[in-house]
Amino acid sequence: MDRKELESQIIEMVAKCYSVDAANLSMETTFKDDLKGASVLMVGLVSEIENELDAMIALQDAAACATIGELVDKVEEEL
Amino acid sequence: MSVLDNIYEKAKANPQKVAFPEAENEKMMQAAYECGQEGYIVPILVGDASKIRELIAERGYEESVFTIIDIGNEDYKNDIIAKYVALPQTVLKEKALGRRMENPLYYAMAMQAVGEADVTFAGIDNTTGDVLLAGQMIIGLKEGISTVSSIGLCDIPGFEGSEGQLLAVGDSAVCTNPSAEQLADIAISACDTVKGLLDWQPRCAMVCYSTLGSGQGELIDKVKEALAIANEKRPDLDIDGEFQLDAAIVPAVAAKKVNRESKVAGKANVLIWPDLNVGNTAVKLIQQFGHADAYGPMLQGFNSIVCDCSRGAPVSEIKGNVIISAVRALGAKRDC
Repeated sequence: MDRKELESQIIEMVAKCYSVDAANLSMETTFKDDLKGASVLMVGLVSEIENELDAMIALQDAAACATIGELVDKVEEEL
Repeated sequence: MSVLDNIYEKAKANPQKVAFPEAENEKMMQAAYECGQEGYIVPILVGDASKIRELIAERGYEESVFTIIDIGNEDYKNDIIAKYVALPQTVLKEKALGRRMENPLYYAMAMQAVGEADVTFAGIDNTTGDVLLAGQMIIGLKEGISTVSSIGLCDIPGFEGSEGQLLAVGDSAVCTNPSAEQLADIAISACDTVKGLLDWQPRCAMVCYSTLGSGQGELIDKVKEALAIANEKRPDLDIDGEFQLDAAIVPAVAAKKVNRESKVAGKANVLIWPDLNVGNTAVKLIQQFGHADAYGPMLQGFNSIVCDCSRGAPVSEIKGNVIISAVRALGAKRDC
């Protein structure tokens, strides 16, 4: 899977887990300030990534990502 | 009869199935064994069955007290996975769950999710973070609840509150700086927890440094907003505020400061702190100056009971917490 495809898949997953429109998300979108979600939403996102991409990301690593772009980097390392 | 005696009696009358994913741990196995042998619970040891059997023999326990689940048994594992993925609103699919279940903590929780166990009890080898993550991933949070939190039960010598010496307080251990929404969820979960464990009619006070507008500022605004959210979400519960601590628990102070009808003021049996700085300090004040015993923290907010114990906990404390969690599971079933 190339980087662009991975980015687009993860954006779709973030949109689903945080109940936001994927069109408003980018690699620069921040979890803390832009998405403001409860930690349980991050648990859902980590699970979704595990289900769909077969990449097991530790929650603390995912939670340490400031932006969606950083999360994509982490997933890319796992794949 | 003390509060613990009462809880122990309830446990014995209807022993619940408690899964122990840290079964090889010496203290955990001893606590599971004693709780099982004394009839408080049905202990289920989850892990490498041959190793567990070896340790049971080595430690001189009767194997018949335990149910042993071998995580290497593929048939049973596949049965659990099939039942789990058929449940509504689970987050992990078959393959991801199968991989997670190589860890006994996730295995035990998957058993609990499908009804093969009533409680998962861990935390002596796993960190609190491990237990909370597995709980959120496998057991999930109750509908409408956005955060895991905790309450403690304080037995305070000389305190003459609406439940005698007892007072439930939260959150003093888990949710560090709750938003108004999360604070509302902590109050709602706390009410459900005390109902399940103690059969109390909860009277829950949201406390801070103001009583009904006597103080102002953003710290108070958060508590007021949380109260409004909690009342809207659960109008069936008696949650009120914002109150200072004395107005919440002392009838004479409430009569003076609360100039409106309140089912809670002056007779609260559950106190909700505005954040963890207050909560953690308050519990330590109660323990140090009030010479109180504080039971817990009891995790709350999950779909069913998940229990985390301190990694340094002695066997006696583990036993107490196992039995409390079993009675909470019983109460949760009854309140369903």
